[in-house]
Amino acid sequence: MTLVCPVPESEVLSDLELSLMTETTEQEDPRALFESQAIPYMDQLYAAAMRLTRNPSDAADLVQETFIKAFQAFGQFQQGTNLKAWLYRIQTNTFINNYRKKQRDPYQGTIDDLEDWQIGGAESATATSGRSAEAEAIDHLPDSAVKDALQAIPEDFRMAVYFADVEGFSYQEIADIMKTPVGTVMSRLHRGRRMLRDLLADYAKERGIATPPPAKRQQVSGSTK
Amino acid sequence: MTDCGCDKAKAELEEYLHRELSDENFKDITEHLAHCESCTSEHLIGLTLTNKVRSACQEKAPEALRSAVLGRLSELKA
Repeated sequence: MTLVCPVPESEVLSDLELSLMTETTEQEDPRALFESQAIPYMDQLYAAAMRLTRNPSDAADLVQETFIKAFQAFGQFQQGTNLKAWLYRIQTNTFINNYRKKQRDPYQGTIDDLEDWQIGGAESATATSGRSAEAEAIDHLPDSAVKDALQAIPEDFRMAVYFADVEGFSYQEIADIMKTPVGTVMSRLHRGRRMLRDLLADYAKERGIATPPPAKRQQVSGSTK
Repeated sequence: MTDCGCDKAKAELEEYLHRELSDENFKDITEHLAHCESCTSEHLIGLTLTNKVRSACQEKAPEALRSAVLGRLSELKA
């Protein structure tokens, strides 16, 4: 005696419905969607990866890994939310887990505990004319000097500055990406920018990139060297 | 209209620059900057620093990376 369980009508129908649904998702093609939405951020992610890893080969590896992880998790990304911030969160996590260990950062782990006096004054003592000259000197620095200065500041500070000033993320977005409270973001950003400013001022002074006081400024005889 | 003063302005210039102030505070600082040369010059340094960092950090991903990523993605199941 065999007991045959007849397939209920409703289940056949749901199979049909399922295949219809699969067809519609295939039409949307997550790969095409990902390529059109996420891949355009490659230049930006690569630029950030360069500041994180400090060399082109590690930066390329990091970006590649970021895109693969993002693609695999793309189903969890909520369309309509901030894709750029989402990609940066993945890249930052990947960096922390895979690359940070390899690098020697003398400040790592202790930097948020440093007191302000260890980092430098909070306020430039110079008068207005000195400040105008400072702004002008910064403006005249070569890009390489700015990148060197960025590399010289602690990584957490560097990334806070990068996310705020290069990417224009809000403090809250940076807090989400770096997984820290907004107050920590502010502190890292302020201190990072202060250090950067001091480093650039030193650089300008060393290279003699100082601008004459506005009153005296004329066509300064350019020594071409 | 009372000026918020240099102390408040200098303390909040970073947040002013990064557009993280409330509308009211933003207005206060804007008004103060309109009359204060000292704070304006300080603000100018901050702005210059931001612009300089932004322009120095522009990079183009190498073509080899672009094709490597697209290649890897095409091997993966969506």
